[in-house]
Amino acid sequence: MLGIQFPDANSDLGQVFYNNIFMRIEDEKNIVKVGRTLTQTILNEFPTLRDDDAIRFVYALNPFSDGVNTERDQYANVLEYARIFNQRFFVSLHGENFYDSLSPDNFKLNSMGISLMYRVPFVQKWDRNILQEIGVSYNNYFTDRPGYSNDFKSSVKNLIFSTTLNLKPDPINFIDFKFQAIQNFGWDEITALTDYFDYTRTQSTSVFGTFRYMKRKQKRPNYQFTLGGGYKSLSNLNTDSDQFIMIANSFYRLGENFDIGFQYRFTSNNGYTKTLFGKNEHRVQFALVYSFNKIFNKQFGDRNQLLNLEHNYIR
Amino acid sequence: MDRRDFMATGAISTAGMLFFPGNLLANTAKEENLQRLVKPLPHKMDGEWKEFELYIDIHIHEPAPGFKYHTLAFNDSVPGPEIRVNAGDKVRVKFINKTDLNHTIHWHGMHVPWRMDGVPFVTQLPVMPKNEFIYEFVAKPEGTHFYHCHWGTLMHMQAGMFGSLIVENPNDPIKKRFPYEREYTLVYSAHDTNYVRGEMNGMLERMKQQSFLMKEGRFTPEEWSVFDNKEQLLDSMSNGYIPPYSNSRRSNADLPQANWFTVNGKSYPSTPYLFIKENENIRVRLINAGAETHNLHLHGHDFWMVADDGVPLEHPWKRNTVPLNAGKTYDIIIEGKNRGIWTFHDHDTRKVTNNGLYPGGNLLALVYEDLPADELIITKHSGNPMLNPNTGMGGMKMDKMKMGDEKMKMNKMLFGEDKLPKIALDE
Repeated sequence: MLGIQFPDANSDLGQVFYNNIFMRIEDEKNIVKVGRTLTQTILNEFPTLRDDDAIRFVYALNPFSDGVNTERDQYANVLEYARIFNQRFFVSLHGENFYDSLSPDNFKLNSMGISLMYRVPFVQKWDRNILQEIGVSYNNYFTDRPGYSNDFKSSVKNLIFSTTLNLKPDPINFIDFKFQAIQNFGWDEITALTDYFDYTRTQSTSVFGTFRYMKRKQKRPNYQFTLGGGYKSLSNLNTDSDQFIMIANSFYRLGENFDIGFQYRFTSNNGYTKTLFGKNEHRVQFALVYSFNKIFNKQFGDRNQLLNLEHNYIR
Repeated sequence: MDRRDFMATGAISTAGMLFFPGNLLANTAKEENLQRLVKPLPHKMDGEWKEFELYIDIHIHEPAPGFKYHTLAFNDSVPGPEIRVNAGDKVRVKFINKTDLNHTIHWHGMHVPWRMDGVPFVTQLPVMPKNEFIYEFVAKPEGTHFYHCHWGTLMHMQAGMFGSLIVENPNDPIKKRFPYEREYTLVYSAHDTNYVRGEMNGMLERMKQQSFLMKEGRFTPEEWSVFDNKEQLLDSMSNGYIPPYSNSRRSNADLPQANWFTVNGKSYPSTPYLFIKENENIRVRLINAGAETHNLHLHGHDFWMVADDGVPLEHPWKRNTVPLNAGKTYDIIIEGKNRGIWTFHDHDTRKVTNNGLYPGGNLLALVYEDLPADELIITKHSGNPMLNPNTGMGGMKMDKMKMGDEKMKMNKMLFGEDKLPKIALDE
């Protein structure tokens, strides 16, 4: 038996999240994933300082969440099966139990989706001139829409399109462009925003993209500049409402495992989103980043290593 | 690297043919044993030149039944095939690099012209991907030698790029003193298979990036980490070049820790047998192509040390344990004077393991092929009175004990057939 309890009753620590505890079983062509992990409500990985810096633009948001924290949009209890064709095409069927703020102890499957991705493994991209990744994902959240008994009709539906283009697949001066668009086919009847539930359940269209330049002196990252921006329009509301974001950041490698970073973010909210999230915001962040990873069992290599891609040791 | 890649798992599974040593005295055992010995490399004659062809490619190797990994291999074989020539022969080896990595061949112990010595950037440029190199030399001196890749030696040698090179002397003083008909070559090595995979991936990836830059004509000494002289290195450093050793690319703990120990590329129970007959001499050529020392001990015999690094010893001497250091070759003569089945193994028993489990690794056996089959029967010659009521002498004799049917059944259940030897793979 495994038990974890955070935090102590009177510690005032607030909530502590465990985001990744899952089991993955895979062979050459199949992956099964069960447990708590990232959901497929984002298809790309944007070079922002934190992965929730542009969360309202790059995630299909959890319609069961009251919006108190971003973890509830990013992570869920996931059951996922992916089939891989020619090492590049990923077809994934998935179901999730997203955190439901109104009934937090409910562990029912409350979302299902499918995603189709074409992805050139990072280590092979030096042979690719343009297309590194492209994919679409469809997510269906089983919300209780007043007046609808049919599960499908009462659900919130999202369609995501994502791509990454190698503008310069150069091992030393690397430039790429990442883009993602999300269409939320929300409920027609939500024409005003009173809370976060309305925000995630109303119709919206969001786009987000980044240009990144990475200097890889001696073929390892040395410094990086990113300029990105996004726009979200909530077209079904009775007052013109939209949101805008601009992000610029830079990282510099200090030494083994250590980087320093700087990020400037500007967000602007109009109409109902201004009431919900506040006025325009300028945010400047400095970061000292220490990153490490440790694999305890080295018996098996990574799916994306060249030895596997070119000579197949995972069967 | 995808930051969300938590851990990838894969499955290595395979079914291997187990060789049952219970049939060790059968002719099939000797035929099967040929697969465990080094393979001779055939040659063609071109005038007075003996022409050999060696290619290198990535290969799936199975050191013991059920364990496979990707490695480098000369002519799809670990170790590479044996080159056998006479002293004074003119030897030409056409080397073809089919991989995406750089390689050379170094002729260990041979007195070749220095431009044929195979040390990259010292005696030649590396043999680049899909390129060839012709090595030419006169075979000297006589004796047991080997060849191996000298590029990225730490990884490439562990990954299987080695093979034996025997230079025979028609007037061999060893053969005169210890007449023999049969001889065996045993090439020892030690491998960190996890390191091999990780490092091979790293090298393949770097080569992909370097190929991109080469295609664009933007390759520089910094990209190669290869400089014409120290001044050029210092100039590059003042322009921001960081020598790889000053970045801690690898901690001490990440240096290879061998987890597989092989003889002729095989680990127990796939290791070769040394067959011998009573009163026969056999010559065994021991080569250490790995980076570990192997303290080889033969049970039940003292053997003659007859050559050291290929050089015949004027005064051979006897011992039963020999430390075979990295890069060493020894020739030994075993005299068939004590019939039986005798293990010959590394007495550093950490190396008699497969992936950390004993027994495994470089454990093999000297087998008297004319051993009476009767002696293999466990109950007949066992010193355990429970198994053999006739054991012991005089008053120790426990002739009252009889082997009942129940006892026979119990023994069959515990030990299977009433016959030695057996494969014991339980830790």
